[in-house]
Amino acid sequence: MSAVTRDPTDNAIFGRDDTRAVRCTVNGEPVAFTVAPYRTLLDALRHEIGLTGTKKGCDVGDCGACTVLVDGAPVNACLMLALEADGRAIETVEGLAGAEGELHPLQRQFMRCGAAQCGFCTPGMLMMAKALLAEKPAPSETEIRFALAGNICRCTGYTKIVEAVAETAKEAAQEGQAPR
Amino acid sequence: MSAAALPGNGLDAALGIVGTSVRRSDLAEKVSGSARYTADIRLPGMLFARVKRSTVAHAVIRRIDTSRALALPGVKAVLTHADVPRVLHYGSPMPRAASCTKDQYILDRKVRYWGEAVAAVAAVSEEVAEEALALIEVEYDELPVLITTEAAEAPDAAQIHGNEPDREALPGNLVAPPVRVARGDVERGFAEADLIVEGLYEGGRPTPAYMEPNASLCHWDEHGRLTVHISTQTAFMVRGAMAEVLGLPLNQVRVLADHFGGGFGAKQDLFQSEFLCALLAKRTRRPVMMEWTRKETFLGGRSRHPVKIWLKQGFKRDGTITARQARLVYNSGAYGSHGPGVTAVGTSSLTSLYRCDNVLLEGRCVYTNAPIAGAYRGYGVVQAYYALDIQLDEAALKLGLDPAALKLKNAVREGDIAPSGHPIVGHGLEDCIRRGMQEVGWASTPLGSSPDRSRAAPPKRPPQGALRFGWGLGCEMHGSSAYPGIKEQGNALVKMHEDGTATLFTGTAALGTGAHTALAQIVAEELGVAFESIHVVHGDTDIVPWDIGAFASHTTYMGGMAAKLAAAEVKRQLLERAAGLLEAAATDLEVRAGVVRVAGTDRILSVRDVMAPGRGIPSPHLVGHGSYSPTKSYSFAAHFVEVQVDVETGQVQVLQVVPVHEVGRVVHPVAAQGQVEGGVQQGIGHTLSENHEIDPVTGRTLNASFVDYKMPLAMDMPPVRTILLETAPDPGGPWGAKGIGEDPIIAIGPAIANAIFDAVGVRFRHYPITPEQVLQRLREV
Repeated sequence: MSAVTRDPTDNAIFGRDDTRAVRCTVNGEPVAFTVAPYRTLLDALRHEIGLTGTKKGCDVGDCGACTVLVDGAPVNACLMLALEADGRAIETVEGLAGAEGELHPLQRQFMRCGAAQCGFCTPGMLMMAKALLAEKPAPSETEIRFALAGNICRCTGYTKIVEAVAETAKEAAQEGQAPR
Repeated sequence: MSAAALPGNGLDAALGIVGTSVRRSDLAEKVSGSARYTADIRLPGMLFARVKRSTVAHAVIRRIDTSRALALPGVKAVLTHADVPRVLHYGSPMPRAASCTKDQYILDRKVRYWGEAVAAVAAVSEEVAEEALALIEVEYDELPVLITTEAAEAPDAAQIHGNEPDREALPGNLVAPPVRVARGDVERGFAEADLIVEGLYEGGRPTPAYMEPNASLCHWDEHGRLTVHISTQTAFMVRGAMAEVLGLPLNQVRVLADHFGGGFGAKQDLFQSEFLCALLAKRTRRPVMMEWTRKETFLGGRSRHPVKIWLKQGFKRDGTITARQARLVYNSGAYGSHGPGVTAVGTSSLTSLYRCDNVLLEGRCVYTNAPIAGAYRGYGVVQAYYALDIQLDEAALKLGLDPAALKLKNAVREGDIAPSGHPIVGHGLEDCIRRGMQEVGWASTPLGSSPDRSRAAPPKRPPQGALRFGWGLGCEMHGSSAYPGIKEQGNALVKMHEDGTATLFTGTAALGTGAHTALAQIVAEELGVAFESIHVVHGDTDIVPWDIGAFASHTTYMGGMAAKLAAAEVKRQLLERAAGLLEAAATDLEVRAGVVRVAGTDRILSVRDVMAPGRGIPSPHLVGHGSYSPTKSYSFAAHFVEVQVDVETGQVQVLQVVPVHEVGRVVHPVAAQGQVEGGVQQGIGHTLSENHEIDPVTGRTLNASFVDYKMPLAMDMPPVRTILLETAPDPGGPWGAKGIGEDPIIAIGPAIANAIFDAVGVRFRHYPITPEQVLQRLREV
């Protein structure tokens, strides 16, 4: 990941040297960073921590592209201040795969079903789907559609996304375990 | 090289890799979060740019004062019209004249729509840049605001353009000379008709609403060379426009376009901000990132052209169409963008789909002070076929015929002359209609033989409470490629390495369709090697061969054929080399699954062994170049739709869609289905809810967000049962393959409007058809 480079004058203006320290875990790893109080969790993840998988599609909570999990619950990272992440456990798309790089069942099924086209909504979709399956391991198609209703996709018509989530649940049921 | 002359372009060849849903190469990056989009990039010393947008729709800037903004700590540069080169350019960097209009400056003294860029700032952070925008003072001398084409075409209307020295002078607010298409004799045709149907059809202003807001990142090196990272469909066109406007040789501009989050046609254009980004980077001598907000994608982006179509047709009692006359007026908004192209393609599309010998069509494109309309999936044809297909339904009712039978009777067939002037290949449309009728149980009633309006559609569900149900059929055809409007070209390079693996270098864009996977399949198929042994390099104008870009449903058709030609050349070299090793004539060799064989024998050598360096002989390095300029092929579709109308709320819900598409040859079934499903989704949105709303007095955008601009969500989408046919392969595409990108958005609209009529007996001739309008019309009847 490329380092964040700041102009030396950046922090000197508008009292923005008033950065605060945040300690949290991101994808299981402890992370400490300082951030201006007005920064969103989305901007902090993307440009302070360097995890750009989480996308900015609207920055006002309308599209769901920035969905991450905070203590397991799905959150629009653009609507949460980075400071509020202090002490919390954040999960992003980069944390879905296992330590050895093995794909999460949702990632595998999204690939198999062709559930991504341009890919911009995909990270948010995956995180929302993960939250759904954690709560409801065997959702109906309607439940999947309603769970994903806050995540806009403009390419796929949602057909293959819904299919991928349903297939993941089915696969987990056959293996007798809920997906991670 | 003509495609027909290409050896091995067998339309009926049995293929092993093409036609299977191999693992898409881009998806691993997309599901892991590692796929890189322009706004993900951070460079050392990078500044952030923001654009100041006008708060009036039509005015001359009297005074613009940037001194307070420049004094703000952290602001590094501010640009206004006084600071940028005054070069008139094409808003879209398409090949000129035929499609686009040269009518835009980077920044102008005159403002032509609400939200037009009037200044730009580069600062150390987005927040400082944003703050600086508020400190720029602009005073305007306001001019009359013309939002509708009627206002703009009034005899005394203000001129929105007209003083630009390089612009062809046209009367009034015309973007381009009107398009006129005449075939046969409409007067005689109408005289021969037993029935004349005529109506006014109107299209709203849907917007592509791609998920990734526009972004560009520019930096210059010590030699004055410009690098542009950008979210675009047309990297080489961006390079050309940047070079032209900034006065640089082409090899001094490098455009990098990796993954990007959707474009749907609109990201063919340049939007002022890319030039501003480059100029800010030049002035500050630092990298500059220009990332739009979602709101800006509405204000400064591109929509479909709002349209008014007057359409009149004559019919014989047996359903024969005797004459067709139409006037189409497209609202271009403040700049021409693709107006001329959209008008030409949309207008001429009415010569076809349903056969008619006597045709008289006139299409006009008019400047207004609305936001800019441009290229958007379906390119003028969405509007035209919405009108045409609904009117066929109206005629069927009046003639007492089944709409499907009427459409079948008049469907274009093999040998008919297409809008492009080319003869149609195959009976694709007929095949689509018949197959769909079979699929949904739409009885194939012979014309005129069934009673009462011959509603042969699938059995209607009986009303349930306030719910009424109905079926509708909509049809379309669309060209792969923009020919003859422009002459396109795709190029590909294939390199085969010492171990038998190969790399495809392509200039086609990574639009998200899976096109690069399709191209790799084509290369693997042609070379006779495994799909996994092909790697695709794209998105860097310094490296890949020139390509016109991704639009006009032509990537697989044109880029695929270029890739096939390049692979064929490498295969020729490979077999020549193998011939020496196998002591056989190259013409006796065949290669399949990575093995070269002397035909009919068991003398074999793996491709890897053929390519292995010999003793003391340097490693070979096979390179093939393929260049392809297509003419035209047409794909076809028939969409069958069931809707539910709530007569108490006016809410229309699409219950199921059966889209049947004839595409010549399916290269990747899952990706092709994905195109259809996504097109259906956008089409449902356009028909029922999506409209970029403009205040008719001020020209101000009223709904620039995803809450106020309502697109279909996961729970709004019905089941979509896509059927892909390969009955009319076109020799111009790889193994007969044609386009699929634009087709699915065209037929769904009229299918929904026709289904609403079937459900409640109310005819809608516009889109979007909102619940309020449905309720109002239901009360009237």
